[in-house]
Amino acid sequence: MSKIACFVEKYNFSDPREEDALQNFKLAAEKQGREFHFLFREDISDVAKYDAVFIRATTDPLNTAYVVSKTAWELGLKVIDDPESITICGNKIHQYALFEKYNVPYIPTMFLNKDELHHKKISDTFDALGKPVVIKAPYTSFSRYVEKAACETSFRDVAKRFFKKSDVLAIQKFTPTAFDWRVGVLNNDVLYVCKYMIPKGKWKHGAKLRGKPTVIWGRTVSIKRQEIPVRLREVALKACSVVGKGLYGVDIKEVDGNYVVVEVNDNPSIYAGYEDSMDHDIYQRIITYLSE
Amino acid sequence: MTVLVVSNIDLTTNLQIMKPATFLDSTIKEATLNINNEYRYLKTGYYVSMHAEILGNRVIPSCENIIDSSRTPILLLRAAKAGVPTLPFLVTDSVKKITNELGFPVILFAVNPFIYDGYKVAHNKSALYRAVKSLGMNYKFAVCAQPLKGELFAVKSFFGKTTNSDPQLQKIAEKVYKTFKIPLCKLHIQKTVDKAYLCGLQPVNREELSEQDLLIISKEVSLISEQGEAFGV
Repeated sequence: MSKIACFVEKYNFSDPREEDALQNFKLAAEKQGREFHFLFREDISDVAKYDAVFIRATTDPLNTAYVVSKTAWELGLKVIDDPESITICGNKIHQYALFEKYNVPYIPTMFLNKDELHHKKISDTFDALGKPVVIKAPYTSFSRYVEKAACETSFRDVAKRFFKKSDVLAIQKFTPTAFDWRVGVLNNDVLYVCKYMIPKGKWKHGAKLRGKPTVIWGRTVSIKRQEIPVRLREVALKACSVVGKGLYGVDIKEVDGNYVVVEVNDNPSIYAGYEDSMDHDIYQRIITYLSE
Repeated sequence: MTVLVVSNIDLTTNLQIMKPATFLDSTIKEATLNINNEYRYLKTGYYVSMHAEILGNRVIPSCENIIDSSRTPILLLRAAKAGVPTLPFLVTDSVKKITNELGFPVILFAVNPFIYDGYKVAHNKSALYRAVKSLGMNYKFAVCAQPLKGELFAVKSFFGKTTNSDPQLQKIAEKVYKTFKIPLCKLHIQKTVDKAYLCGLQPVNREELSEQDLLIISKEVSLISEQGEAFGV
Protein backbone atom coordinates (compact mmCIF):
# COMPACT_ATOMS: atom_id res chain seq x y z
CA MET A 1 0.00 0.00 0.00
CA SER A 2 1.48 3.33 -0.98
CA LYS A 3 2.23 5.85 1.73
CA ILE A 4 1.87 9.59 1.36
CA ALA A 5 3.62 12.02 3.70
CA CYS A 6 2.01 15.43 4.05
CA PHE A 7 4.64 17.88 5.24
CA VAL A 8 3.02 20.47 7.48
CA GLU A 9 3.97 22.99 10.13
CA LYS A 10 1.89 23.80 13.21
CA TYR A 11 0.47 26.93 11.59
CA ASN A 12 -1.24 24.82 8.92
CA PHE A 13 -3.68 23.76 11.66
CA SER A 14 -4.35 27.20 13.11
CA ASP A 15 -7.22 27.97 10.73
CA PRO A 16 -10.09 25.45 11.04
CA ARG A 17 -10.87 25.79 7.32
CA GLU A 18 -7.37 24.71 6.42
CA GLU A 19 -7.41 21.97 9.04
CA ASP A 20 -10.65 20.64 7.51
CA ALA A 21 -9.05 20.68 4.08
CA LEU A 22 -6.08 18.67 5.40
CA GLN A 23 -8.47 16.13 6.92
CA ASN A 24 -10.25 15.97 3.56
CA PHE A 25 -6.95 15.04 1.91
CA LYS A 26 -6.45 12.29 4.48
CA LEU A 27 -9.97 10.94 3.92
CA ALA A 28 -9.55 11.05 0.15
CA ALA A 29 -6.27 9.13 0.41
CA GLU A 30 -7.70 6.50 2.72
CA LYS A 31 -10.71 6.07 0.42
CA GLN A 32 -8.26 5.27 -2.35
CA GLY A 33 -6.49 2.77 -0.12
CA ARG A 34 -3.43 4.92 0.60
CA GLU A 35 -1.83 5.69 3.92
CA PHE A 36 -1.66 9.41 4.63
CA HIS A 37 0.50 10.73 7.45
CA PHE A 38 1.26 14.25 8.59
CA LEU A 39 4.99 14.77 8.71
CA PHE A 40 6.26 17.49 11.03
CA ARG A 41 9.60 19.22 11.16
CA GLU A 42 11.13 17.02 13.83
CA ASP A 43 10.67 13.89 11.69
CA ILE A 44 11.91 15.19 8.33
CA SER A 45 14.55 12.49 8.19
CA ASP A 46 11.69 9.95 7.79
CA VAL A 47 10.89 11.13 4.25
CA ALA A 48 12.64 8.06 2.84
CA LYS A 49 9.97 5.81 4.37
CA TYR A 50 7.25 7.16 2.07
CA ASP A 51 6.29 6.82 -1.59
CA ALA A 52 5.09 10.38 -2.16
CA VAL A 53 5.31 13.73 -0.43
CA PHE A 54 2.67 16.45 -0.43
CA ILE A 55 3.95 19.74 0.97
CA ARG A 56 1.45 22.06 2.65
CA ALA A 57 3.91 24.11 4.73
CA THR A 58 4.97 27.38 3.11
CA THR A 59 7.63 26.81 0.47
CA ASP A 60 10.70 28.84 -0.39
CA PRO A 61 14.15 27.74 -1.55
CA LEU A 62 15.43 28.89 1.85
CA ASN A 63 12.80 27.10 3.91
CA THR A 64 12.74 23.65 5.41
CA ALA A 65 10.07 22.75 2.85
CA TYR A 66 12.69 22.95 0.06
CA VAL A 67 14.90 20.50 1.93
CA VAL A 68 11.93 18.12 2.19
CA SER A 69 11.06 18.57 -1.48
CA LYS A 70 14.57 18.10 -2.83
CA THR A 71 15.27 15.16 -0.54
CA ALA A 72 12.11 13.45 -1.80
CA TRP A 73 13.07 14.27 -5.38
CA GLU A 74 16.60 12.89 -4.98
CA LEU A 75 15.12 9.70 -3.50
CA GLY A 76 12.86 9.34 -6.53
CA LEU A 77 9.53 10.01 -4.76
CA LYS A 78 6.61 11.81 -6.33
CA VAL A 79 6.44 15.26 -4.78
CA ILE A 80 4.17 18.31 -4.78
CA ASP A 81 5.69 20.94 -4.73
CA ASP A 82 8.71 19.77 -6.68
CA PRO A 83 12.02 21.59 -6.15
CA GLU A 84 12.04 23.28 -9.54
CA SER A 85 8.55 24.70 -9.05
CA ILE A 86 9.60 26.00 -5.64
CA THR A 87 12.63 27.66 -7.21
CA ILE A 88 10.67 29.36 -9.98
CA CYS A 89 7.63 30.33 -7.88
CA GLY A 90 9.72 31.33 -4.88
CA ASN A 91 11.45 33.97 -6.96
CA LYS A 92 9.12 36.17 -8.98
CA ILE A 93 12.05 37.70 -10.87
CA HIS A 94 12.87 34.24 -12.22
CA GLN A 95 9.21 33.71 -13.06
CA TYR A 96 8.69 37.01 -14.92
CA ALA A 97 11.89 36.46 -16.90
CA LEU A 98 10.44 33.12 -18.03
CA PHE A 99 7.08 34.75 -18.89
CA GLU A 100 8.96 37.25 -21.02
CA LYS A 101 10.97 34.55 -22.74
CA TYR A 102 7.96 32.36 -23.55
CA ASN A 103 5.46 35.13 -24.36
CA VAL A 104 3.08 34.59 -21.48
CA PRO A 105 0.83 37.68 -21.20
CA TYR A 106 1.72 39.17 -17.81
CA ILE A 107 1.32 42.41 -15.97
CA PRO A 108 3.76 45.11 -17.23
CA THR A 109 6.92 44.65 -15.19
CA MET A 110 10.40 46.14 -14.97
CA PHE A 111 13.35 44.85 -12.95
CA LEU A 112 15.33 47.10 -10.65
CA ASN A 113 18.88 46.21 -9.60
CA LYS A 114 20.22 47.29 -6.24
CA ASP A 115 22.74 49.75 -7.72
CA GLU A 116 20.09 51.40 -9.91
CA LEU A 117 18.19 53.09 -7.13
CA HIS A 118 18.77 56.65 -8.31
CA HIS A 119 16.64 59.57 -9.47
CA LYS A 120 16.86 58.94 -13.21
CA LYS A 121 15.97 55.27 -13.04
CA ILE A 122 13.06 55.97 -10.70
CA SER A 123 11.61 58.70 -12.91
CA ASP A 124 12.09 56.50 -16.01
CA THR A 125 10.18 53.78 -14.20
CA PHE A 126 7.31 56.16 -13.37
CA ASP A 127 7.30 57.38 -16.99
CA ALA A 128 7.06 53.84 -18.30
CA LEU A 129 4.55 52.41 -15.84
CA GLY A 130 2.64 55.45 -14.59
CA LYS A 131 1.92 56.43 -10.99
CA PRO A 132 1.62 54.74 -8.61
CA VAL A 133 3.68 51.62 -9.26
CA VAL A 134 3.66 48.37 -7.35
CA ILE A 135 6.98 47.27 -5.87
CA LYS A 136 7.28 43.55 -5.37
CA ALA A 137 9.97 41.60 -3.56
CA PRO A 138 10.73 38.33 -5.40
CA TYR A 139 9.84 36.20 -2.36
CA THR A 140 6.30 37.58 -1.96
CA SER A 141 3.48 35.34 -0.74
CA PHE A 142 0.08 35.90 0.86
CA SER A 143 0.07 39.52 -0.43
CA ARG A 144 3.11 40.34 1.72
CA TYR A 145 6.13 42.29 0.44
CA VAL A 146 4.00 43.96 -2.23
CA GLU A 147 3.62 47.71 -1.77
CA LYS A 148 2.49 50.73 -3.73
CA ALA A 149 4.62 53.82 -4.31
CA ALA A 150 3.37 57.05 -5.86
CA CYS A 151 6.40 59.29 -5.39
CA GLU A 152 10.17 59.01 -5.37
CA THR A 153 10.40 59.24 -1.58
CA SER A 154 8.09 56.31 -0.91
CA PHE A 155 9.63 54.41 -3.86
CA ARG A 156 13.07 54.68 -2.26
CA ASP A 157 11.69 53.84 1.15
CA VAL A 158 10.00 50.61 0.02
CA ALA A 159 12.82 49.58 -2.34
CA LYS A 160 15.47 50.01 0.34
CA ARG A 161 13.57 47.72 2.67
CA PHE A 162 13.09 45.03 0.03
CA PHE A 163 16.72 45.28 -1.14
CA LYS A 164 17.85 44.00 2.26
CA LYS A 165 17.02 40.48 1.18
CA SER A 166 17.14 40.55 -2.62
CA ASP A 167 19.47 42.39 -5.00
CA VAL A 168 16.76 42.61 -7.69
CA LEU A 169 13.11 43.74 -7.36
CA ALA A 170 10.11 43.76 -9.68
CA ILE A 171 8.31 47.04 -10.38
CA GLN A 172 4.83 46.67 -11.85
CA LYS A 173 2.07 48.75 -13.34
CA PHE A 174 -0.63 49.44 -10.75
CA THR A 175 -3.70 47.63 -12.05
CA PRO A 176 -6.67 47.89 -9.67
CA THR A 177 -9.49 45.39 -10.28
CA ALA A 178 -12.49 44.27 -8.24
CA PHE A 179 -11.08 40.74 -8.06
CA ASP A 180 -8.23 38.52 -9.16
CA TRP A 181 -8.99 35.26 -10.89
CA ARG A 182 -7.41 32.34 -9.06
CA VAL A 183 -7.13 29.29 -11.28
CA GLY A 184 -5.98 26.08 -9.61
CA VAL A 185 -3.99 23.94 -12.04
CA LEU A 186 -2.79 20.38 -11.59
CA ASN A 187 -0.65 18.58 -14.15
CA ASN A 188 -1.58 20.93 -17.03
CA ASP A 189 -5.30 20.79 -16.30
CA VAL A 190 -7.68 23.17 -14.55
CA LEU A 191 -8.48 21.94 -11.03
CA TYR A 192 -10.64 24.74 -9.64
CA VAL A 193 -11.60 28.31 -10.45
CA CYS A 194 -12.22 31.14 -7.98
CA LYS A 195 -12.50 34.87 -7.83
CA TYR A 196 -10.44 36.31 -5.00
CA MET A 197 -12.35 39.51 -4.26
CA ILE A 198 -10.33 42.55 -3.26
CA PRO A 199 -11.59 44.06 0.03
CA LYS A 200 -13.46 47.33 -0.48
CA GLY A 201 -11.18 50.36 -0.70
CA LYS A 202 -8.07 48.13 -0.89
CA TRP A 203 -5.98 46.95 -3.82
CA LYS A 204 -4.79 43.48 -2.89
CA HIS A 205 -6.54 40.31 -1.75
CA GLY A 206 -4.94 40.39 1.69
CA ALA A 207 -4.83 43.98 2.94
CA LYS A 208 -4.01 45.63 6.23
CA LEU A 209 -6.40 48.00 7.91
CA ARG A 210 -4.82 51.36 8.48
CA GLY A 211 -2.70 51.30 11.63
CA LYS A 212 -3.63 47.73 12.54
CA PRO A 213 -1.53 44.59 12.24
CA THR A 214 -4.39 42.26 11.31
CA VAL A 215 -4.80 41.34 7.66
CA ILE A 216 -8.27 41.27 6.17
CA TRP A 217 -8.98 38.99 3.26
CA GLY A 218 -11.45 39.46 0.45
CA ARG A 219 -14.19 36.92 -0.15
CA THR A 220 -13.58 33.85 -2.28
CA VAL A 221 -16.23 33.16 -4.91
CA SER A 222 -15.75 29.91 -6.72
CA ILE A 223 -17.21 28.77 -10.03
CA LYS A 224 -17.42 25.33 -11.62
CA ARG A 225 -14.28 24.39 -13.50
CA GLN A 226 -16.29 23.63 -16.66
CA GLU A 227 -17.50 27.21 -16.70
CA ILE A 228 -14.09 28.83 -16.94
CA PRO A 229 -13.85 31.34 -19.81
CA VAL A 230 -11.90 29.74 -22.68
CA ARG A 231 -9.27 32.46 -22.92
CA LEU A 232 -8.72 32.47 -19.14
CA ARG A 233 -8.10 28.75 -19.26
CA GLU A 234 -5.58 29.17 -22.09
CA VAL A 235 -3.66 31.90 -20.30
CA ALA A 236 -3.59 30.01 -16.98
CA LEU A 237 -2.31 26.81 -18.56
CA LYS A 238 0.25 28.65 -20.66
CA ALA A 239 1.62 30.39 -17.56
CA CYS A 240 1.92 27.10 -15.67
CA SER A 241 3.58 25.37 -18.60
CA VAL A 242 6.71 27.50 -18.14
CA VAL A 243 6.88 26.53 -14.46
CA GLY A 244 6.22 22.80 -14.40
CA LYS A 245 3.64 20.06 -14.16
CA GLY A 246 2.66 20.21 -10.50
CA LEU A 247 -0.04 21.98 -8.49
CA TYR A 248 -0.32 25.75 -8.89
CA GLY A 249 -2.61 28.67 -8.16
CA VAL A 250 -2.45 31.22 -10.97
CA ASP A 251 -3.45 34.82 -10.22
CA ILE A 252 -4.84 36.56 -13.29
CA LYS A 253 -6.30 40.01 -13.77
CA GLU A 254 -8.97 40.77 -16.33
CA VAL A 255 -8.25 44.16 -17.87
CA ASP A 256 -10.45 45.48 -20.71
CA GLY A 257 -11.35 41.95 -21.75
CA ASN A 258 -7.74 40.76 -21.73
CA TYR A 259 -6.26 38.33 -19.24
CA VAL A 260 -2.86 39.15 -17.78
CA VAL A 261 -0.98 36.94 -15.35
CA VAL A 262 -0.04 38.47 -12.01
CA GLU A 263 1.85 35.40 -10.82
CA VAL A 264 1.90 31.63 -10.61
CA ASN A 265 2.08 30.30 -7.05
CA ASP A 266 3.20 26.88 -6.02
CA ASN A 267 1.72 25.54 -2.77
CA PRO A 268 -1.65 27.28 -3.36
CA SER A 269 -4.04 27.69 -0.41
CA ILE A 270 -6.77 25.08 -0.22
CA TYR A 271 -9.41 25.85 2.42
CA ALA A 272 -12.50 23.73 2.98
CA GLY A 273 -15.58 25.56 1.72
CA TYR A 274 -13.51 27.92 -0.46
CA GLU A 275 -11.41 26.56 -3.32
CA ASP A 276 -13.33 23.26 -3.16
CA SER A 277 -16.86 24.62 -2.93
CA MET A 278 -17.83 24.00 -6.57
CA ASP A 279 -15.53 21.10 -7.43
CA HIS A 280 -15.51 18.74 -4.45
CA ASP A 281 -13.23 16.25 -6.14
CA ILE A 282 -10.07 18.34 -5.91
CA TYR A 283 -8.79 16.27 -2.96
CA GLN A 284 -9.18 12.98 -4.82
CA ARG A 285 -7.54 14.41 -7.92
CA ILE A 286 -4.47 15.56 -6.04
CA ILE A 287 -4.17 12.23 -4.20
CA THR A 288 -4.53 10.35 -7.48
CA TYR A 289 -1.79 12.47 -9.03
CA LEU A 290 0.49 11.72 -6.06
CA SER A 291 -0.19 8.00 -6.34
CA GLU A 292 0.44 7.64 -10.07
CA MET B 1 34.00 28.24 -27.84
CA THR B 2 34.04 31.65 -26.25
CA VAL B 3 33.38 31.94 -22.55
CA LEU B 4 32.01 35.03 -20.92
CA VAL B 5 33.57 35.65 -17.53
CA VAL B 6 31.39 37.61 -15.11
CA SER B 7 33.13 38.45 -11.86
CA ASN B 8 32.74 40.66 -8.81
CA ILE B 9 36.40 40.02 -7.97
CA ASP B 10 39.33 41.71 -9.68
CA LEU B 11 41.22 38.95 -11.39
CA THR B 12 44.81 39.10 -12.60
CA THR B 13 44.27 37.82 -16.10
CA ASN B 14 44.32 39.25 -19.59
CA LEU B 15 40.78 38.07 -20.20
CA GLN B 16 37.87 40.43 -20.59
CA ILE B 17 35.94 40.40 -17.32
CA MET B 18 32.40 41.72 -17.09
CA LYS B 19 30.89 43.18 -13.93
CA PRO B 20 27.73 41.44 -12.68
CA ALA B 21 25.58 44.60 -13.05
CA THR B 22 26.61 45.00 -16.70
CA PHE B 23 25.79 41.38 -17.44
CA LEU B 24 22.37 41.61 -15.77
CA ASP B 25 21.43 44.42 -18.16
CA SER B 26 22.70 42.56 -21.22
CA THR B 27 21.42 39.77 -23.45
CA ILE B 28 24.76 38.15 -24.26
CA LYS B 29 24.34 34.56 -25.32
CA GLU B 30 27.56 32.84 -24.43
CA ALA B 31 28.66 30.14 -22.04
CA THR B 32 28.93 32.04 -18.78
CA LEU B 33 31.45 31.56 -16.00
CA ASN B 34 30.12 33.29 -12.91
CA ILE B 35 32.84 34.14 -10.41
CA ASN B 36 31.66 35.54 -7.09
CA ASN B 37 32.92 35.17 -3.56
CA GLU B 38 29.37 34.40 -2.48
CA TYR B 39 26.56 32.77 -4.41
CA ARG B 40 23.84 33.42 -1.87
CA TYR B 41 20.25 32.95 -3.00
CA LEU B 42 18.70 36.31 -4.07
CA LYS B 43 22.09 38.04 -4.05
CA THR B 44 23.87 39.24 -7.18
CA GLY B 45 25.93 36.05 -7.55
CA TYR B 46 22.70 34.08 -7.79
CA TYR B 47 21.02 36.48 -10.21
CA VAL B 48 23.96 36.28 -12.61
CA SER B 49 23.47 32.52 -12.94
CA MET B 50 19.70 32.93 -13.16
CA HIS B 51 20.00 35.53 -15.92
CA ALA B 52 22.40 33.29 -17.84
CA GLU B 53 20.01 30.34 -17.55
CA ILE B 54 17.04 32.38 -18.76
CA LEU B 55 19.10 33.50 -21.76
CA GLY B 56 19.67 29.83 -22.46
CA ASN B 57 23.41 30.03 -21.71
CA ARG B 58 25.37 27.20 -20.22
CA VAL B 59 26.52 28.51 -16.88
CA ILE B 60 28.79 27.63 -13.99
CA PRO B 61 27.38 27.37 -11.38
CA SER B 62 23.71 26.58 -12.06
CA CYS B 63 20.91 27.99 -9.89
CA GLU B 64 19.97 24.51 -8.77
CA ASN B 65 23.50 23.82 -7.57
CA ILE B 66 23.73 27.20 -5.85
CA ILE B 67 20.58 26.48 -3.83
CA ASP B 68 21.38 22.84 -3.13
CA SER B 69 24.96 23.39 -2.02
CA SER B 70 23.89 26.00 0.52
CA ARG B 71 21.25 23.74 2.10
CA THR B 72 23.40 21.44 4.23
CA PRO B 73 21.09 18.37 4.15
CA ILE B 74 20.87 18.50 0.35
CA LEU B 75 24.60 19.13 0.05
CA LEU B 76 25.32 16.02 2.11
CA LEU B 77 22.71 13.90 0.34
CA ARG B 78 23.96 14.71 -3.15
CA ALA B 79 27.62 14.60 -2.16
CA ALA B 80 27.17 11.16 -0.59
CA LYS B 81 25.49 9.97 -3.79
CA ALA B 82 28.57 11.15 -5.69
CA GLY B 83 30.85 9.16 -3.41
CA VAL B 84 32.01 11.89 -1.03
CA PRO B 85 32.45 10.56 2.53
CA THR B 86 29.78 12.06 4.81
CA LEU B 87 28.36 11.11 8.20
CA PRO B 88 24.68 10.32 8.82
CA PHE B 89 22.72 13.48 9.61
CA LEU B 90 19.35 14.49 11.02
CA VAL B 91 17.10 17.35 9.99
CA THR B 92 14.94 18.20 12.97
CA ASP B 93 14.16 20.75 15.67
CA SER B 94 13.98 18.13 18.40
CA VAL B 95 16.82 18.08 20.93
CA LYS B 96 15.58 14.71 22.19
CA LYS B 97 15.87 13.17 18.76
CA ILE B 98 19.42 14.46 18.28
CA THR B 99 20.47 13.20 21.72
CA ASN B 100 18.90 9.77 21.19
CA GLU B 101 20.09 9.17 17.67
CA LEU B 102 23.43 10.96 17.47
CA GLY B 103 24.67 11.53 21.02
CA PHE B 104 27.52 13.97 21.73
CA PRO B 105 29.39 15.87 20.52
CA VAL B 106 27.37 17.07 17.53
CA ILE B 107 27.87 19.75 14.91
CA LEU B 108 24.85 21.80 13.84
CA PHE B 109 24.20 23.82 10.71
CA ALA B 110 21.20 26.15 10.32
CA VAL B 111 18.44 25.39 7.81
CA ASN B 112 16.66 28.74 7.63
CA PRO B 113 16.51 31.82 5.40
CA PHE B 114 18.52 34.08 7.69
CA ILE B 115 21.74 32.35 8.70
CA TYR B 116 24.10 31.48 5.88
CA ASP B 117 27.41 31.43 7.67
CA GLY B 118 28.71 29.56 10.67
CA TYR B 119 27.79 26.49 12.66
CA LYS B 120 27.72 25.39 16.28
CA VAL B 121 29.24 22.46 18.11
CA ALA B 122 27.50 21.06 21.21
CA HIS B 123 29.24 18.82 23.74
CA ASN B 124 26.35 18.47 26.18
CA LYS B 125 22.60 18.82 26.46
CA SER B 126 22.45 22.42 27.62
CA ALA B 127 24.77 23.55 24.83
CA LEU B 128 22.61 21.59 22.40
CA TYR B 129 19.45 23.32 23.62
CA ARG B 130 21.10 26.71 23.17
CA ALA B 131 22.39 25.82 19.70
CA VAL B 132 19.07 24.43 18.45
CA LYS B 133 17.32 27.50 19.83
CA SER B 134 19.63 30.05 18.26
CA LEU B 135 20.22 28.30 14.89
CA GLY B 136 16.50 27.50 14.67
CA MET B 137 15.61 31.12 15.45
CA ASN B 138 13.72 30.22 18.62
CA TYR B 139 12.46 26.84 17.33
CA LYS B 140 10.96 28.36 14.18
CA PHE B 141 13.22 26.36 11.88
CA ALA B 142 14.92 22.98 11.77
CA VAL B 143 18.66 22.40 12.07
CA CYS B 144 20.92 19.86 10.42
CA ALA B 145 22.82 17.79 12.99
CA GLN B 146 25.81 15.50 12.39
CA PRO B 147 27.94 13.58 14.87
CA LEU B 148 31.32 15.13 15.53
CA LYS B 149 33.92 12.39 15.50
CA GLY B 150 37.16 14.17 14.79
CA GLU B 151 38.90 17.46 14.31
CA LEU B 152 36.94 20.14 12.48
CA PHE B 153 38.46 22.57 10.02
CA ALA B 154 37.68 24.66 6.96
CA VAL B 155 39.50 24.71 3.62
CA LYS B 156 39.04 27.12 0.75
CA SER B 157 38.23 25.38 -2.52
CA PHE B 158 38.81 27.05 -5.88
CA PHE B 159 37.44 24.99 -8.77
CA GLY B 160 37.81 21.90 -6.62
CA LYS B 161 41.44 22.60 -5.81
CA THR B 162 42.70 23.27 -2.34
CA THR B 163 46.12 24.30 -1.07
CA ASN B 164 45.84 21.74 1.72
CA SER B 165 48.27 18.88 1.07
CA ASP B 166 46.09 16.10 2.52
CA PRO B 167 45.09 13.83 -0.40
CA GLN B 168 41.77 12.92 1.27
CA LEU B 169 40.81 16.57 1.47
CA GLN B 170 41.89 17.17 -2.10
CA LYS B 171 39.70 14.29 -3.20
CA ILE B 172 36.69 15.70 -1.31
CA ALA B 173 37.17 19.18 -2.77
CA GLU B 174 37.50 17.73 -6.25
CA LYS B 175 34.37 15.58 -5.98
CA VAL B 176 32.30 18.36 -4.43
CA TYR B 177 33.29 20.62 -7.31
CA LYS B 178 32.45 17.94 -9.84
CA THR B 179 29.00 17.57 -8.27
CA PHE B 180 28.04 21.19 -7.59
CA LYS B 181 30.43 23.27 -9.71
CA ILE B 182 30.70 26.06 -7.14
CA PRO B 183 33.90 27.84 -8.27
CA LEU B 184 34.72 29.55 -4.96
CA CYS B 185 33.69 28.18 -1.60
CA LYS B 186 34.78 27.13 1.83
CA LEU B 187 34.38 23.48 2.80
CA HIS B 188 33.88 22.38 6.39
CA ILE B 189 35.50 19.04 6.94
CA GLN B 190 36.01 16.80 9.94
CA LYS B 191 38.87 14.40 10.15
CA THR B 192 39.19 11.35 12.38
CA VAL B 193 42.46 9.48 12.75
CA ASP B 194 42.14 7.88 9.36
CA LYS B 195 39.23 9.40 7.49
CA ALA B 196 37.93 12.79 6.34
CA TYR B 197 34.23 13.66 6.00
CA LEU B 198 32.44 16.58 4.37
CA CYS B 199 30.24 18.54 6.84
CA GLY B 200 29.24 21.75 5.10
CA LEU B 201 29.86 24.33 2.39
CA GLN B 202 29.78 28.08 2.87
CA PRO B 203 30.75 31.23 0.97
CA VAL B 204 34.26 32.67 1.18
CA ASN B 205 34.46 36.18 2.57
CA ARG B 206 36.23 38.61 0.33
CA GLU B 207 38.76 39.39 3.04
CA GLU B 208 39.67 35.72 3.17
CA LEU B 209 40.96 35.79 -0.40
CA SER B 210 44.73 36.24 -0.38
CA GLU B 211 46.91 37.45 -3.26
CA GLN B 212 47.95 33.84 -3.73
CA ASP B 213 44.28 32.76 -3.90
CA LEU B 214 43.54 35.37 -6.54
CA LEU B 215 46.40 34.07 -8.65
CA ILE B 216 45.09 30.51 -8.42
CA ILE B 217 41.56 31.64 -9.30
CA SER B 218 42.79 33.73 -12.22
CA LYS B 219 44.81 30.85 -13.58
CA GLU B 220 41.84 28.48 -13.40
CA VAL B 221 39.55 31.03 -15.04
CA SER B 222 42.02 31.41 -17.93
CA LEU B 223 42.23 27.65 -18.33
CA ILE B 224 38.47 27.18 -18.41
CA SER B 225 37.91 30.00 -20.86
CA GLU B 226 40.57 28.57 -23.17
CA GLN B 227 39.39 25.00 -22.97
CA GLY B 228 35.73 25.35 -22.19
CA GLU B 229 35.32 21.64 -21.44
CA ALA B 230 34.11 22.28 -17.94
CA PHE B 231 30.80 23.37 -19.47
CA GLY B 232 30.31 20.06 -21.19
CA VAL B 233 29.24 18.28 -18.02
